[in-house]
Amino acid sequence: MKMLVLIGALMILSVSAFIGETPLEIHKILNPNAMEYLLFWDLRLPRVAVAFTSGAILALGGLVFQAVFRNALTTPFTLGVSSGATLATAFGIIFLPASLIAFSSLFSFFGAFSTVLLLFLFARTLNAMQTNSLLLIGIALSFFYSAALIVLYYISDLQQSYSIIRFTMGSLNVVGFASVYAVIAAALILLGVTLKYRHELRLILTSYDNAFLKGVEIKKINLILLFFVSLSVGVSVSVVGPIGFVGLVIPHVIKLIYKQSSDKLILPVFFYGGVFLVLCDLISRNLGTVSEVPIGVVTSFIGGPFFIYLILKRRKNHA
Amino acid sequence: MNLKIDHLHTDYLNDISFELNDENVVILGSNGAGKTTLAKAIVNLAENDRVSCNTKKVSEMSAKDRSQLLNFIPSKLEVFDEYIDVREFLELSLLNGTAEKEIERVLSLLEITHLENKSCKEISSGESQLVLFAGGLLQNSELTLFDEPTANLDSDKKIKIFELLKHTQSLKMVITHDLNLAFRLGFRVLFLQNGTIAYDGSCEEFFAQENLYWLFGDSIKRVDDFFMVNYR
Repeated sequence: MKMLVLIGALMILSVSAFIGETPLEIHKILNPNAMEYLLFWDLRLPRVAVAFTSGAILALGGLVFQAVFRNALTTPFTLGVSSGATLATAFGIIFLPASLIAFSSLFSFFGAFSTVLLLFLFARTLNAMQTNSLLLIGIALSFFYSAALIVLYYISDLQQSYSIIRFTMGSLNVVGFASVYAVIAAALILLGVTLKYRHELRLILTSYDNAFLKGVEIKKINLILLFFVSLSVGVSVSVVGPIGFVGLVIPHVIKLIYKQSSDKLILPVFFYGGVFLVLCDLISRNLGTVSEVPIGVVTSFIGGPFFIYLILKRRKNHA
Repeated sequence: MNLKIDHLHTDYLNDISFELNDENVVILGSNGAGKTTLAKAIVNLAENDRVSCNTKKVSEMSAKDRSQLLNFIPSKLEVFDEYIDVREFLELSLLNGTAEKEIERVLSLLEITHLENKSCKEISSGESQLVLFAGGLLQNSELTLFDEPTANLDSDKKIKIFELLKHTQSLKMVITHDLNLAFRLGFRVLFLQNGTIAYDGSCEEFFAQENLYWLFGDSIKRVDDFFMVNYR
């Protein structure tokens, strides 16, 4: 099973940049004067790169959140971190002067990060990370942010609200590598930090009491992990918009395939999170619709049923 | 090692003070008397600043230093991730210079080698109690606090745990309801009642007839050197 999935994944990655609405003649992509050159190097490849790294960030972020918050449903998305980023970005789109619109990415990061800080404060008041209350608070926050977003729609002009809507649907449409480098860097940093704290993560995966007794500075480690997750999610959301479901589905799917504890799944979750989004993007680009189907629609269409299938299958095996 | 608890107050405990100097202790008391709370406060799982170890406040120690001095073995094994097996769980206890091959020794000592590759969520409550105990032996902190280490065990295993508590080197604080175990360990006894210390003294004095009657009324009956629950 593992081998089969890996071969499939590698195939998706290697063909993805070559398949699209405009067929590519492969020998032309190395010719700088051909249209294919531009198409491949400035549009397709950056797109695949940003899809891969964003998927990796969202999936690994989900894995870390599920361990830290002790709940299989927590992801940066379900806790409101992505919607915090979206709200802040919309704020930036409306209130920043047109010349500074590029800085809306910064807003997106601060939106993500301040939401995590808020969750932290609530968690402290609840005096436990492991309660479902935090998930409920996250859901409440999401609704609150959505309401605020609608208020922003009302005060924005047509052009602005169009930009916001495009943003909230999520899009992997990037031109050139400039913004892609930021996402790649964010993904690598998140991967590095998570690997560095792998041992602490495993202790946290037993129980907080056990980790505490084995000499883990829990508050510090949690803060570091959550900081880097929100940093990288913030960067990713600022470039591709909020994309749901990857953070929820990939960690669980990988867990069901590998049957290992989460601390050993850091690399597979990172890798397959990336592959999943590349695959979804490949589908969204090749459906033959007039304009691309938003990426979030595809992730949910594929991820949802597959996820339910896996859960049902697991229940059957347990019974 | 010197352990000092200085006017400790929590939700369940009321002005607890005592001192331990390189000695083992048994903590007795009725349900809800505050035994587990006391143990958690000592290792700072229940945060407070009233406990010091070798004159240094536990709350101000680094987590690493604290884990070398103090360990708490809960009565129930809690593991969030279903794919962490017993061996992996025990590997996490190797932190005070214990070698990895010690795991095999401790597993066979407690006769739980067959559990090595089982998920921590699949084993029975008695088995998980033995796994927790094994973790305590491996971590080998200077003082280990055991919360009812024999509660779910069959009599063979109870004897085994008794022998290990009695004869291993490091210092222990044992919370139990088992008067026979407390009597045979012979450690200093602390008896908690409604969050305060009702008795603090030697094992012999604790088990003297008048003292037992004063603490337990006629619910406990001594027959030779055994203590029976007096079902009437």
